[in-house]
Amino acid sequence: MSNQKNGAFVIEELNLFYGTKQALKGINLDIPKNRVTALIGPSGCGKSTFLRTLNRMNDLIPNCKVDGLVRYHEEDVYAQNFDVIELRRKVGMVFQKPNPFPMSIFENVAYGLRCQGIKDKTILQLAVKQALIDAALYEEVKDRLKESALSLSGGQQQRLCIARAIAMAPEVILMDEPTSALDPIATAKIEELINELKKDYTIIIVTHNMQQALRISDYTAFFLMGELMEYGETSQVFSHPKKAKTEDYITGRFG
Amino acid sequence: MTTNYQKLKVRSTARGRITDRIAKTIFMSTAILSASFIFLIAGIVLIRGVIPFTTDNLGIGRVSLLRFLTYDVWLVGETFASNLYGVGFIIISTLFITLLSLLISFPVGVLTALFIAKIAPKPLAKILRTVVETLASIPSIVFGLFGAGVILKLVYDFSSSIGYQSKGGNSILAVVLVLALMTIPTITTISEVAIRSVDKSIEQGSLALGASKTQTNFKVVLSSAKSGIFTAAILGIGRSLGEATAVSLVAGGRRAGISFDILDTTSTLTTIMLEGLKETTGIDYDIRFSVGLVLMVVILLTNLILNAIKRKVGVVNVKE
Amino acid sequence: MSKNKKRKIKDLFLNAVTYLSSAVSLVTLLAIIIFIFGKGYKLLNFNLVVENFESQGYVADLYDTGLYCGCNPTIALSDEAFYSQKWGIALTDTLDLLGKTVVMVEYVHPDSPFKTVHDKGISGEPIPMRTDYDIIRIAFDAYPTALSRYGAEAMIDALEANNSIREIEFETEGGGIRGSIITTLILIALTLALALPIGVGAAIYLNEYAPANKITRTLRMFIETLTGVPSIIYGLMGLAIFVPLTVRLTSATGGNLISGAMTLAVILMPIIIRTTEESLKVVPDDYRQASLALGASKTQTTFHVVLPSAVPGIMTSTLLAIGRIIGESAALVFAIGTAIKDDVSLTGKSTSLAVHIWAMMTDEPANIELSATIAIIIMVIVVLLNIFIKIITSRYMQRKLGASS
Repeated sequence: MSNQKNGAFVIEELNLFYGTKQALKGINLDIPKNRVTALIGPSGCGKSTFLRTLNRMNDLIPNCKVDGLVRYHEEDVYAQNFDVIELRRKVGMVFQKPNPFPMSIFENVAYGLRCQGIKDKTILQLAVKQALIDAALYEEVKDRLKESALSLSGGQQQRLCIARAIAMAPEVILMDEPTSALDPIATAKIEELINELKKDYTIIIVTHNMQQALRISDYTAFFLMGELMEYGETSQVFSHPKKAKTEDYITGRFG
Repeated sequence: MTTNYQKLKVRSTARGRITDRIAKTIFMSTAILSASFIFLIAGIVLIRGVIPFTTDNLGIGRVSLLRFLTYDVWLVGETFASNLYGVGFIIISTLFITLLSLLISFPVGVLTALFIAKIAPKPLAKILRTVVETLASIPSIVFGLFGAGVILKLVYDFSSSIGYQSKGGNSILAVVLVLALMTIPTITTISEVAIRSVDKSIEQGSLALGASKTQTNFKVVLSSAKSGIFTAAILGIGRSLGEATAVSLVAGGRRAGISFDILDTTSTLTTIMLEGLKETTGIDYDIRFSVGLVLMVVILLTNLILNAIKRKVGVVNVKE
Repeated sequence: MSKNKKRKIKDLFLNAVTYLSSAVSLVTLLAIIIFIFGKGYKLLNFNLVVENFESQGYVADLYDTGLYCGCNPTIALSDEAFYSQKWGIALTDTLDLLGKTVVMVEYVHPDSPFKTVHDKGISGEPIPMRTDYDIIRIAFDAYPTALSRYGAEAMIDALEANNSIREIEFETEGGGIRGSIITTLILIALTLALALPIGVGAAIYLNEYAPANKITRTLRMFIETLTGVPSIIYGLMGLAIFVPLTVRLTSATGGNLISGAMTLAVILMPIIIRTTEESLKVVPDDYRQASLALGASKTQTTFHVVLPSAVPGIMTSTLLAIGRIIGESAALVFAIGTAIKDDVSLTGKSTSLAVHIWAMMTDEPANIELSATIAIIIMVIVVLLNIFIKIITSRYMQRKLGASS
């Protein structure tokens, strides 16, 4: 489990403070490659905060201090001159509420590539098409790529956001409760998509829905009050939890 | 409950009802009065403005509408004795000047708004916002004074340094600069509101894709605030078209000949209305209403056209 | 990584342009302030506010003959001043506003017999001798008259050589803005008297009584379109409707303050309506319903419950209106006229401060210094108004937030 060569992220003694309030305490974790790792725990436990440390989206919050190591490809992402922009290209993110740009479907998916400086129309068209296919959205939108992304349904918009992230050819995809704003059918579609995606990407997903964690994840990390309570293979964590608190949460005694 | 009490209740409610009706009528009439002013204004400008074209003007003769709208010279012949007025060249000058000043004030205004809303640290943003608010509340005559005192000199020095003799600095360039400075605060305040109201999650989405903050600001935030920014531009144009006293102090009062040379003197629809106002009568007096009528038509048309464009820009999401 | 480099350069360029654009506003404001203060500071003194615009000539003599000062000046005099110890007066050669050389009073000692002189003309009133007045001539009993042509030193010498004077002819400096200040104040009072009742009344109707239907929406639209009309057009309306109206109804013979106030009232109306409506909207419906449930009539509810809560908003709109009145120029040029007057009457022409600037700037030659001085006064008032508005709105916000928490 802690074989560094297989780890996408290696986290050592991670502490995070919002001003004086400590939100993450001494997290140690290895995230395996090409697997789906679920982060579960009651609200306010720090799982979303932890997720955002991985692509340094926490930088956007004023008064947020991080210490400890977050290693990606053997490098500490919080090191002095670390290229955050490059990190975010390799580590994509999908948000809880779908947030497509007020542009056409095509432009949404092509956005990240354009930011990288890619202008060639043929390259962009190929990349967009492939990303939409991989996100299982292409068939539904192939005739209306120039239409506004806001004309899509909620589930379609979320898949668009996934396509947008995939177009960057990331290695890791972070998902922050991606289906909590969607209906069951859309949710099922996305869970199916995640199962497909894990063949090529490392996926870390925050979810408050334990059934979802059971359905789609290979590994599960349980957070409680900013601490990592337990981490292991999903089947094991859910059937034979090592800690009492884990069992309490899973059986619904709190959270 | 005594009958006295019941009688009291009925009386006071009846009185209450009458008072209510009277009050409502009074308030309603003030509202109707307020709403009627637009007709009063449009009506009187229309009626007086049409007089030169439809009457004999006390023996001077009718002014030809076609000639009025298209001619290149303000007045051919003696004042108070001639009916040969033309505002054609002034209409074009006015539009030209408005366009030029917008070319300056729009980018500067929008970028200032972006700076205040997204880039500047909080204390600096607060200071700059107060600066912009103060500029917005400066009366136009003070801008005109500033124009006459400072901008004329700058333009004059500039023109002599490139070997051109400008008429004391009075020029299209001076007007454009003064108008631009006056319009920037308007555009900035409205654009800032539009930029502020862009959903944060869209910004985050862009950053999460590996775009830089600047890329996010320009590619996503500004384009999301498109509609509000466009409104700002429309209001800015409206202000430029209608500005009178400030412009008249730096324009130079050109009376004939269309010119696109920015160092040439010029007139706008508003300045020509103000010219020689101190002693005027008869046809020269009435013709100002005609110019006012033209001004209102120009403003109306530009508003309609721009709003139509705005609707198009909002609905179809144009490729970047 | 050259793509990254390109992006970094582009970002840097865009950021630089953004910073520069923001600097434009700051630089402009500073430039305007520096300009009007620099040009206008010289003339900024109390005399300006109380003096007439037209300079007035007087022929006067002294009240007490045989009374001398024999005093030293209480302030430091300039190097070019000539001082008479006997009479306690200091004169200097200077240029007046038109560029002519004149002999100007630089200082008058409090005990000087020249402090207050007696008007030999019709009024026979005492006239205070102020600094900046121009002495034209001083006549003596058995001595050649001292003329301003010969300069200040000669005049002081003549004074020293004499023990009595026959008469003194002088001119007040003129250029005072008293008339325009009074006009501006009258305009503010009149305009508000007209615009507030109508504006607040209309706002009350729209917010409290009007049903939410097409008619109401149309009414609102008509009122809103007024805001897009440039003020010069309002001036035309004032000229064409209000001036003849007031001429018919009063003793006015042309543009006058009443027609000006009526024009301004129409300009301000939509602003007052909008601001008042906003503050009416903030009043929670619970207040209204509580009042009605207690059996109060709608009118009582409006006046006793809704309006008091909306007072800060109405005050704000009043302050905004005052700022607008002070700054308005184009409309008043048409609706009143551009004659600078010293005696102001409701039915006569006069200029507000802003129009005064316009009149001076369109004169030959344009008087930039005095215009700048007036601009200073206008700016200070406008800034103060803005500060008051900010105070009211922030305190109002605090109270509202406190009430609902």
